[in-house]
Amino acid sequence: MAGKVPERLNRILLMVPFIVANGSATVDELCRKFNIDRDELVCDLDTLRMCGVPDYTPADLIDYRIEGGRVFMTMADYFKRPLTMTREEGLTLLVAGHALIRSGVFESDGPLGTALDKIERLLSVEEQVELESVAERIDLEMNASTGSWMDIIEEGLEKQQRLVIDYYSYSRGEIAERRVDPLSLLWSRGCWYLLAFCHEACDTRLFRLDRIRSLKLTGEPVEDDVTKFEVPELIGEYKPGRKAHKVKLRFSGREGRRLVEEWPTAKVADAPDGTIAVVLRTKNLVWLSNYLLRFGDRVRIESPAELRKMVKEKARALLKEYGSG
Amino acid sequence: MGRTMDKIERLINLTAFLLDTRKAVTFEELTDTVYQEYPSTTVREKNAVRKMFERDKDELREMGIDLEATSNEDGDDAYNIPRSRYYLPRLDLDTQERVALTMVSRLFLGSGTPFSAPAHSALLKLAFDDDESRGVPNVHWVESPADGESLSAMVDGLTRRKLLTFSYRALDATEPAEREVEPYGLFNRRGYWYLVGRCHFRGETRCFKLDRVVSDVVVNQKKPHTADFELPEGFNFEEECRWEWPLPHGAEDIEASVTFEPRLAFIRESGPGKVIGERRLGDGGIEVDYEVTDPEQLVDWVLSLGADAQITSPPELREMAVERLTGMLRGLES
Repeated sequence: MAGKVPERLNRILLMVPFIVANGSATVDELCRKFNIDRDELVCDLDTLRMCGVPDYTPADLIDYRIEGGRVFMTMADYFKRPLTMTREEGLTLLVAGHALIRSGVFESDGPLGTALDKIERLLSVEEQVELESVAERIDLEMNASTGSWMDIIEEGLEKQQRLVIDYYSYSRGEIAERRVDPLSLLWSRGCWYLLAFCHEACDTRLFRLDRIRSLKLTGEPVEDDVTKFEVPELIGEYKPGRKAHKVKLRFSGREGRRLVEEWPTAKVADAPDGTIAVVLRTKNLVWLSNYLLRFGDRVRIESPAELRKMVKEKARALLKEYGSG
Repeated sequence: MGRTMDKIERLINLTAFLLDTRKAVTFEELTDTVYQEYPSTTVREKNAVRKMFERDKDELREMGIDLEATSNEDGDDAYNIPRSRYYLPRLDLDTQERVALTMVSRLFLGSGTPFSAPAHSALLKLAFDDDESRGVPNVHWVESPADGESLSAMVDGLTRRKLLTFSYRALDATEPAEREVEPYGLFNRRGYWYLVGRCHFRGETRCFKLDRVVSDVVVNQKKPHTADFELPEGFNFEEECRWEWPLPHGAEDIEASVTFEPRLAFIRESGPGKVIGERRLGDGGIEVDYEVTDPEQLVDWVLSLGADAQITSPPELREMAVERLTGMLRGLES
């Protein structure tokens, strides 16, 4: 059977109203909406064919047919509307709503507040009390961003306008201008990112919001065919690829372990002498040579030699600036 | 019928019948209809079917279906699903409310958090009567998928007040230890997840960082419909959230100044301190005064900008930066 029972049941009970309400729905639309392939759809529909109300004669069972890419369904009128919002869905909307209010995207007494009230009213009084108590104890930090933040939301995402950004690439230490078609704002591990189609790279790219130096509106619309996108599963250098440098570090204290918490793909091992060995991979050494400076004598850079050289030069130059060189 | 009914078919049939029926249905009537293929002539068989019905009922309620137990005209126990409480009513949202709710329900779509699946169904329900989602800004939460299952167990334990067990390695510990925790709250700070709860191992309320949980998080399966604990009287969630990032004890905010090269002057706003003043410099760069709580954090940040930024005052912070740099050189030259 495809999928776990509650998950499938949920999907089926939500899918039937979408077909019944209009008498039919296209196969493509159903697959897209419910994130399933045609086989899974047919499997769900075949299950429904076994269902109905007493006396379970053929005239009492749900039936469907697929014609010209559309699914037609009969004898399921009691499922004409979806199940009302559930507690789980209510909790999700409340938690997400609170996070977006904290981030400053919405005001607490604006349209989001009144909309969430309308959703809550779908639940019983006891459920509302319980839900609010739980939602208050799930606190997701989303910091407000400054600078180009509201322009990206209002001009880039809402009006779907192309933007020109001056972007500081931390990994390469360079600033360059890029023309981008904004797709989404992403929040991941404590930072905001703009996901956009970059016309210089001819591909989708992520831009950290606090590294956008400036932003210009172009007044041009984004290209139509780039508005479809997949939300990335991971952000950061998680899959650096084969060309990446392999970096070996040795920490004298627990910073090593903290560092690994920031780079989930880094490997960590405790040595018998109490030091912590960390191995990580990265495409670019420039950012790392800056990043490591903070650890002072608590880190030893074992390899590569190129990184040792870069850090040495950087530390010497900086010491000169500080008047201690 | 020759084939055993799938559980999912049975649950759909039960929902359909109890939703479609005009009057509440007794258990007897259900054994002749939804449960007709399960024998129920002997007492033992009947008890088995009864148990099955009880489980099915729980499962539907768990899903959010309001299966009501009432009595019929003869005073017998009977069941139905009130249509008014099953069907999603028209939400009567205005355009702004619809845009806001669509953004909110999209936030966790495909996010690797336990809120991903309910976000998907909520979004579909919102679009049922009025599918107008063009031009609604996309804002998404992205979580590393490895955290998904542990978070899911934590939210489950939190909502149903069930005990959680997991193996936890504190930052300073070399070996992990088994923990049994009453989950009270969950929060996310600077990208990290923390569970707040009473730890039976320590006998006190603590914060657990998700990255330091080294096993699956297991929700107590016993007595699924009874809570394992009550939230302690006077529990202050906000107070507990502050535990992980304590302000340095008795420390006062200090003032510090940093110069930036022209090309990176824009980055001053994202520093770990409050900007309280700034001056343009002759070379196009800028000198910024910050009010900082944690001097270490400022030094870390300025060093991470390499040659593009430098601390100008106070001398103690310059000294900290110099110490790090000389320490680094010593290590590289030895």
